[in-house]
Amino acid sequence: MATTVTEPGLKRVERLERIWVEPRGVLGWLTTTDHKRIGLLYFFTTLAFFGAGGIEALLIRTQLAEPNAKVLSPETYDQLMTMHGVTMIFLFVIPMSLGAFGNYLIPLMIGARDMAFPRMNALSYWLFLASGLFMYASVFLHAAPNAGWFDYVPLALKQYDPGRNIDFYALGLIFNGISSTAAAINFIVTIFKLRAPGMSMNRMPLFCFAMLAVSLSLIFALPSLTIDLVYLELQRNLGFHFFDVAHGGDPLLWQHLFWLFGHPEVYIIILPAFGIATSIIPTFSKRKMIAFPLVALAELLVAFIGFGVWAHHMFATGLPTITLVFFAAASMMVVIPSTIQVFAWTVTVALGRPEFRAPLMFIGGFIVFFVLGGLTGIMFAAIPFDQAATDTYFVVAHFHFIIFGAAVFPILGGMYYWFPKVTGRLYHEGLAKLSFWLTFVGTALTFFPMHIIGLLGMPRRVYTYPSSLGWGAYNLSETIGAFILTAGLLLIFWNLVYSRFRGAPAGPDPFFGGTLEWATTSPPPPYNFPVIPTVRSAYPNWDAEDRRADVARLERGELVLDGGHETPASTVVDAVPDEVLEMPGESPWPLAVAVCTSLLFIMLLTRHYAVAGVFAGFALLAVAAWHSKEPQET
Amino acid sequence: MSATPAAVARVERARLARPNGWWGMAIFVATEATLFGTIIGTYYYLRFNNLHWPPPGVPEPKLTLPLVLTGLLVSTSVPMQLAVNAASRGKLPRARAALLLAVVVQAGYLGMQVHLFVHDVHEFPPSGSAYSSIYFTMLGAHHLHVFLGMLLILWILLRTATGLTSYRMNGLRATAFYWHFINVLALCVVGSQLSPLA
Repeated sequence: MATTVTEPGLKRVERLERIWVEPRGVLGWLTTTDHKRIGLLYFFTTLAFFGAGGIEALLIRTQLAEPNAKVLSPETYDQLMTMHGVTMIFLFVIPMSLGAFGNYLIPLMIGARDMAFPRMNALSYWLFLASGLFMYASVFLHAAPNAGWFDYVPLALKQYDPGRNIDFYALGLIFNGISSTAAAINFIVTIFKLRAPGMSMNRMPLFCFAMLAVSLSLIFALPSLTIDLVYLELQRNLGFHFFDVAHGGDPLLWQHLFWLFGHPEVYIIILPAFGIATSIIPTFSKRKMIAFPLVALAELLVAFIGFGVWAHHMFATGLPTITLVFFAAASMMVVIPSTIQVFAWTVTVALGRPEFRAPLMFIGGFIVFFVLGGLTGIMFAAIPFDQAATDTYFVVAHFHFIIFGAAVFPILGGMYYWFPKVTGRLYHEGLAKLSFWLTFVGTALTFFPMHIIGLLGMPRRVYTYPSSLGWGAYNLSETIGAFILTAGLLLIFWNLVYSRFRGAPAGPDPFFGGTLEWATTSPPPPYNFPVIPTVRSAYPNWDAEDRRADVARLERGELVLDGGHETPASTVVDAVPDEVLEMPGESPWPLAVAVCTSLLFIMLLTRHYAVAGVFAGFALLAVAAWHSKEPQET
Repeated sequence: MSATPAAVARVERARLARPNGWWGMAIFVATEATLFGTIIGTYYYLRFNNLHWPPPGVPEPKLTLPLVLTGLLVSTSVPMQLAVNAASRGKLPRARAALLLAVVVQAGYLGMQVHLFVHDVHEFPPSGSAYSSIYFTMLGAHHLHVFLGMLLILWILLRTATGLTSYRMNGLRATAFYWHFINVLALCVVGSQLSPLA
């Protein structure tokens, strides 16, 4: 949309500027409902948590670098290990991919001006930030969660873990879950209802399919975690009985409910990576994704099958064999949609004219680690192998290849890929390629030896090991790898910070991307598009004629919607324009609700239940105040 | 500056797809249904792990009163739907009267239920067994949802005091949807809790 020339077109753009501008300064950020600013808030917050989780990982690796090391006490080790897992999953990968990438990109990709519920979007962010701070407060009180990220009972019950540690975990994750649920609802409705005219379901970017699959998974997976945590808190603090056999409970109930959430969670972590891969690959291969509908279905299918495989985390718990066999078979099924995607990615690159710039290199690294981690995943679906290798470092190796190698590499590649869109400047390509090789070698060196050492018998979650077992050299190489990996990550960070201020101007579309985010300026204006684009294919930015038609419509004043804070809503499947919505602007109430909710959870933690009730009342009042501002109708 | 009820009715007729608010509520209901599915699943999981359900010393659930009360609650779906139908044709006073009727019946239900809940807690406290733990957790979650649903109705009543707009119409539609869902949940909850009698 680079060229608007005539007077009426410019006038309309000016009017949009005036309508959509938000207050400047700190106040603007605290009350913002702009999905791009909220996306940036998510980005910087999750980056800070990533730093914390990374430091925890380095401390763990330093402790394990040699036998009988005394860097960390066993108690500190347990806390750091638990916080590392909780941080990376709940405070980094999910909010980074869904909160930051999803928020910033989905409305742009579907040609909308905001999310479906802008204030709820702000609320999701503030609740997320507050839940993260809530859990990290425990670190400063020396009472961080210490029973592993899956927090198995009976270890996590009051008798064996009497401090506040587990209460921080349980309440913090319930808190975090509220934020994720609100975000998921928002994404689903945005994707269903706010797509640009003509963007029927089959023309929706694959990134949006991935985010839709993630959001649906969250909607159906989070409740079982929430309920499990509620049971745990009731048992720990009010004397209920869910998990102790003596009173008719069952410790395995925790594991069933946890993994009923936990396995879909794994796909919630990996699916955004698929989405990012399917954005980067076509751009740098200069062709459309092959098997587009199959890839879209595969993304949804992965999320769906993810709900039927949870007991493969429990093969060693003594469940009946017939149960195990069912879950082993279901787990094997995941191979099908995964392989469809691997072939679609690689064949698209092979059939295109690939240009191996840094983002595509990260996708290459992603495919390597995804295949390696996937192959060990298939090994675990074999029950006898699982029972032999369970609780060893082989498991740690498997899931770090997937959760770091496969889930985080596309996030890193995506940071480079969309950096010009967000900042209007280009990153440094040479440094970016160097950072790829550092992170790639670092990841391989950190996590590959864990396979061997796991097969040699080293158990997970131990804070040290004797020298006589000969595990020292492997562990040392893992630690060296972790520091190389850190160097690579710091180089990425430096590259982005440096380029933010010194990078060459990028222009609206430096990579000739096919999706609509590249059809507007970099960075996009608060209203995203001067004209709501109309869409006739899955790669609308490659339809040059349609984009020229957008410019012409701006001149004529069609679909500009400069009468108010407006965005169009369309029908769910065919994206036929249905109505023009007046969207809410900036509001202080989401932040107020989040503050009241935080106080509510602090009171629950300190067991002042009556005061907690009062803060719940305040939160409801804030919700009422929020809704007292209604759209004007005539 | 609120739109006339006739204008709202026109918007309602012209609509091709359900509004965002309806979809938001539908997906919220999906996650809430999963939440209750998990609680009810826990109930049966624990039940099949126990030889005696309810355990010795805990009275069997009463049959008549819970069924009558549930019938009363479920019947409020009728005025809720009448309210939606009336409002979407622009008949606001009729819609508000139906809402008021619904919320009064629901308040009576909740008051009675809380009374029974307190009585039961004294008779077989949740710290006594897994049975009473899940029994009270399920009931408490149900009561909380009834309470939240009532708050939504009261909010709509408050807002529509100054007239009807399409925005408020969407709110009313979503609230009614939520109430139909709460009533389905009530049937599932009471069905599970009475299942030891079968």
